Amino acid sequence: MTETAKAKRSERKTVPVYCNQCVCGPDLLRVEVENGVALRIEPNLDIGAAHPAHGRVCVKAYGMIQKTYNPNRITQPMKRSNPKKGKEHEPGFVAISWEEAFDLVAGKMNEILAKGLTDEEGYPRLAASFGGGGTPTRYMGSFPAFLSAWGPMDLGFGSGQGAKCYHSEHLYGEFWHRAFTVTVDSPNCDYIINCGNNQEASSGVTGVWRQADARVRGLKRVQVEPHLSVTGALSAEWVPIRPKTDAAFLYGVIHRILHERDWRTLCDVRFLSDDTNSPYLVGPNGYFLRDTVSGKPLIWDLASNRARPFDEFTSGSGTEPALEGSFTVAGMEQGPDGQSWQHEAIIVKPSFQLLIEHLATCTPEWAAAECDIEASSIRRVADEFVAHARVGATIEIEGETLPHRPVGIMLGKGVNNGWGGYQTVWARTLLACLVGALEVPGGTLGTKVRLNRPADNRLKSVKAGPDGFMAYPFNATTKEDWQAKPHIRNGYKMLVPLSANSPWSSALGPAHLPWLFQKKPPNPWPKQTLPDMWICYRTNPAISSWNAPFVAERIAEFPFTVAFAYTLDETNYMADVLLPDATDIESLQLSRIGGTGSGEQFWHHQGWAIRQSVVPPAGECRDMTDIATELAKRTGILRRYNESINRGSAATALKTEAFDYSLDPDVAHTAEEIWNAVAKAASHDLSEGKEVHGIDWFREHGFMLREFSQLDWYLYPEMKRKGLRFELPYQENIKRHGAQLATRMHEVGIAWWDSQLEEYEALPNYKRFPDIWTNYASEVGRDPAEFPFWALTARSMQYAWGANVGLPLIQEVAQNIVGHDGIIINRSVARRLGIKNGDPIVLESASGKTHGRATLREGIRPDTVLLIGQFDHWATPYAKNLGVGSLNSLTPLSLSTTDGTGSGADLIRVSVKRDDSPQAVARGRQP
Amino acid sequence: MKRYGMVVDLNRCVGCQTCTIACKHANDTPPGVQWRRVLDVEVGTFPSVSRVFLVTGCQHCANPPCVPVCPTGATRQRADGLVTMTYDTCIGCGSCAVACPYQARTIVHEKVGYYGEKTRQEKKTAHDDRINVANKCTFCVERIDEAEVLGLIPGVDAEVTPACSVSCIAKAITFGDFNDKAAQVSELAKSNRSFQMHAQLGTDPQIKYLYEIPGTTPGRKAEFSDTDDEAMSDASNPLVGARQTFWDYRAAMNFILGGMSSGLAILAWLAHSSGAIDTGRLHVINLFAAFLMAIGLFFVFLKIGRKARFLNVLLRPHSSWMTRETWCVALFYPAVAAGFLWPHPVIDLIAALSAAAFLVCQARILYASKGIPTWRAPLIPSMLVATGLFEGLGLFALLDGRVAGLALAGLALAVVNARLWRRYLLTAREEGIGPLSRHDLAVIAKPLLVLGHVAPALLFALCLVLPQSAATLAALAGAAAVAGGVLWKFVMITRACHQQGFALPMMPQRGSGERAAPKRLALD
Repeated sequence: MTETAKAKRSERKTVPVYCNQCVCGPDLLRVEVENGVALRIEPNLDIGAAHPAHGRVCVKAYGMIQKTYNPNRITQPMKRSNPKKGKEHEPGFVAISWEEAFDLVAGKMNEILAKGLTDEEGYPRLAASFGGGGTPTRYMGSFPAFLSAWGPMDLGFGSGQGAKCYHSEHLYGEFWHRAFTVTVDSPNCDYIINCGNNQEASSGVTGVWRQADARVRGLKRVQVEPHLSVTGALSAEWVPIRPKTDAAFLYGVIHRILHERDWRTLCDVRFLSDDTNSPYLVGPNGYFLRDTVSGKPLIWDLASNRARPFDEFTSGSGTEPALEGSFTVAGMEQGPDGQSWQHEAIIVKPSFQLLIEHLATCTPEWAAAECDIEASSIRRVADEFVAHARVGATIEIEGETLPHRPVGIMLGKGVNNGWGGYQTVWARTLLACLVGALEVPGGTLGTKVRLNRPADNRLKSVKAGPDGFMAYPFNATTKEDWQAKPHIRNGYKMLVPLSANSPWSSALGPAHLPWLFQKKPPNPWPKQTLPDMWICYRTNPAISSWNAPFVAERIAEFPFTVAFAYTLDETNYMADVLLPDATDIESLQLSRIGGTGSGEQFWHHQGWAIRQSVVPPAGECRDMTDIATELAKRTGILRRYNESINRGSAATALKTEAFDYSLDPDVAHTAEEIWNAVAKAASHDLSEGKEVHGIDWFREHGFMLREFSQLDWYLYPEMKRKGLRFELPYQENIKRHGAQLATRMHEVGIAWWDSQLEEYEALPNYKRFPDIWTNYASEVGRDPAEFPFWALTARSMQYAWGANVGLPLIQEVAQNIVGHDGIIINRSVARRLGIKNGDPIVLESASGKTHGRATLREGIRPDTVLLIGQFDHWATPYAKNLGVGSLNSLTPLSLSTTDGTGSGADLIRVSVKRDDSPQAVARGRQP
Repeated sequence: MKRYGMVVDLNRCVGCQTCTIACKHANDTPPGVQWRRVLDVEVGTFPSVSRVFLVTGCQHCANPPCVPVCPTGATRQRADGLVTMTYDTCIGCGSCAVACPYQARTIVHEKVGYYGEKTRQEKKTAHDDRINVANKCTFCVERIDEAEVLGLIPGVDAEVTPACSVSCIAKAITFGDFNDKAAQVSELAKSNRSFQMHAQLGTDPQIKYLYEIPGTTPGRKAEFSDTDDEAMSDASNPLVGARQTFWDYRAAMNFILGGMSSGLAILAWLAHSSGAIDTGRLHVINLFAAFLMAIGLFFVFLKIGRKARFLNVLLRPHSSWMTRETWCVALFYPAVAAGFLWPHPVIDLIAALSAAAFLVCQARILYASKGIPTWRAPLIPSMLVATGLFEGLGLFALLDGRVAGLALAGLALAVVNARLWRRYLLTAREEGIGPLSRHDLAVIAKPLLVLGHVAPALLFALCLVLPQSAATLAALAGAAAVAGGVLWKFVMITRACHQQGFALPMMPQRGSGERAAPKRLALD
């Protein structure tokens, strides 16, 4: 027995890889393999405490093996035989050789190269979509280098982003505190107000681990959301708020602090005075009052009883900035387009005073009526928040003393996206500022940057800009520099100044507009040409977009689509060529791990991990890196492609001042060679030359780490080092850009963006945001009264980003969580409607329908129904038989539901009826 | 001595199902089988609701009800507390499955993959020895067994700790030796209040659930409305047990035919002893009873998962009533046969006693099924015996309706059965029988009373006043008694047989409205 057990253990071969299936990673795992067959998955515990969740991976990672052996996979290149495209036209895919596939694809690319990369309207002829919130960079090998080498490409056809991301947070978060995504410093936090963020389902294993630790330590989280999510379940309290009124809730909380309590003793006045623009004086036109000579914003100094430029208020200067009151001051305002106003003696107020006045009417009673909750809840949450904030407390981290403010605010996607998003993210960040809890231990933190540079270091992206704030790469709105014509079909540079111009910007612009404008362009707008070729990389916008059926129709209009395909799906159903790339555990790649990242990926380490081929690729599937190289070779851009890899497009720069592992740019390299060079560069860089490892070392060891300072979790120390303030609460920059953009738009005759332009307010006003969705019905000629319910969605940890809807294993375990088999509806309401648990129901909005089975629960508002995840598949094998419905079949894709940042929200008004149609009976229960 | 167990923290578990799927990987369980499963439980009514994720699976009880019922010894309890399965011994009778009040056991009959035909991985990780036999969580026994070999400690060293615990992304599942005071499980159990599920059943389950956050949030007792009839009538409520499917009409046939045949044999012997029938008649009736019993046993034979090793059923006479039942059969048949060949009162007595013992065994088999509240009710043994006798009498009345004293005995048995039935219904709720089963019982309450008790009672009474029609009346009464018995047993085995549901006697204080955690303004 003894010997047998030992032998068994030593015989087991496990191979380390990383899981690439969500933004909150990568996390590490090991795959047990025997005679070339992957058998089992287990966490990679070798990493130990260096991983914040001690090497665990979530439920999705365990789907990888079934994903590999899914009999429905596409394992050889295919081409379409039916020239007609659409849901109703069988594509008639026939198998072809890789040679033929490359001929077809590279042939088309060469045609484009010959014609010119952009078309007569100036749009790129080649378009590509990736979806996945940036996760594809962890499984698409060196393909990013191909994209970079190609030249102009339209990456702005969305897969659902705008409604499926944290859009306002992405844009305003980066602007205010380099927070593309925002989280709470849970290990040091005691109290969280969470408006609809489904942390326990979406913050990855690290988030779950840290939240669990915090919970048993006594952290109190108040979950404010219309349905009792997984996260709400784990919260101390659930406040069932009316959808889309979260801004009112937060305004009510702030009102409580500013008007009903003594903010002077409760708030972090020092933080407000020194670290925000609260004391900046604001002129009558709504712009900062500036020193007429230097142009610097002025602050009223109570010590010297005069206005002084903001940068004179340094510690030890004896100054005392005024936060409230009104003062008579001389100065100037700088308005839009160089307009300025000189004031000899004008009565002005600090922006904080304006803030107080701005929220004067937002009483808890007002908010309670808006939100359909108790005013006492709002007051209690506000009181608990400030009580837990420990204003004045400090904490020592790695020998440095920092403020400790153990309170945070989280926002969910539906809260964050679309109309009301600006107000909500502003209120959240302001609330953190009130108690000095922004970017300090225990408080609200950003996790990473995507619009600022460098992308791999949030702290280094802090650069001094004008007026004592960080610089931000706004897209120009001045007459000289405004992009008057869209350079890609979503026109982000033209429409959304905040979207900046990084490689991520095209995906963060109004990425749904190309679909909308393809059907019916607004007037005026340049002719919306179709891309000559669209590359769809394992994303499924025909399912994942808002109004997915509409998007599916648009996809069918594309003349030539190349889809990297795992199985047949609703998008590649319309493709001309299917290319099967090797999946998770069949191909080779290195990825960064650790540091700070999405969810609660705050590590004490950072480094690199490997994804390798544990088993040979299925059928003729090929490593994506080899596919990219072959395409580069066949399109004559191999040199640029290799140079791009050398610059770091695939992973990290292969050549720096310290080392040179660069590839010969004129030779086609294998995936093995490319990643071997990356491995050496990465390990060299990580260890500062002390440990240089090739790819085989990573194959064996799985990962390589170095320490990452906890101090780098927080932006505040860096802000202090650079003498910068957070650009809050007053949004002069936003106001100015809005005014300029409005002028620019009107100069070219665009009036269809006017309501979006109204969003550019210095102190955002609450509007009745729910009405926007309610009134959508009228816009399309329907009566809003027909649609008495809110339909919402929620994250499924088991499915999100896993590309695993075709895996019965995942479906089996997901079924244990309520909502995966049907549409959640309040039990009392269902009873009133004569609907029993499991009954087929149909949901109809003014723009679509979906079918599913009723799941009766108490943890949902009576006016709300909930559809978890994204389904309604009609082509994807296995998934097409699930019959669970999808919000994406109901949400409208429209300008009226698009906010100023170019996002919409995942909700819509619907009717709910028992579905007595014969089809419903035929659909029956799940497979 | 070690005592392995788990501590599950309800304030940590997020219901992600990572443990569920990690277990599926570590133990190669087939489609639909989850040895570790996390339920999504909701209690309360909007706007006062809370939601709890409840980790379930084999509780490796210190006093496991599944072990004594196993007729083969396939399920045993080790010295370290682990309740184990030997697949090669199990016959798949399902006794353990209906004995478990934690729904921990499954029996898979078909070798299918997730996509129908098995994938390469599924073929390589298939365990054909687990087909048609009982399966359950083993606490990853192979890992624990390796601990000693490798010099490691389960619960401390990941490689020798159950996969669910090692994979949990919330540290909600802690494994270890409760007898080791220094073990983390012991520390957690000592420094926190916890509950054991269904502790009142005396199983002493070795999963302890933590439900409070000491210092900030005490736990909450379940309210009446959390477990009232409405909540427990909702089949979608994961706390509500579903109808067991381990024993179907085939098992019911054994209880029906076994009960009436043994009852008949007993009644015949009594009649013979009182001189009402002669020895030859007794032997003929015994033969008929043996025939009926054989049909019932054949149905059971059809039901068991591993027919080729059915003789393993004889291996646990010291604990299993099913084994004892089989030994009774082994005694009854030779006695019946011998009665023919070598008529002797002792042999007849042996036949009658073995039939009586058989009937008692059947009664105890059902009663030992602690996983089915309708079966484990204290009245069940008496009711099965009384019904068996009544059915036997009924059959006897059909065969020999003129026997003196029959009507009186019938009347008495009708009254006894009616009273037991009435008492059973009245005490059902307090005995923990849920509303779904009670509903199934209620459906037959009147028909059974009328057909199975009142009608035979009246007819037997009429026999007394109308002796000239006694044979016909007794036959009718007997038929009604048999029909009543058949109806009752069929419904008991196949309809009113909901499994013991799960329970949350205490739960974290969190949720909306009145269920929310207390207001907290101070930090310390």
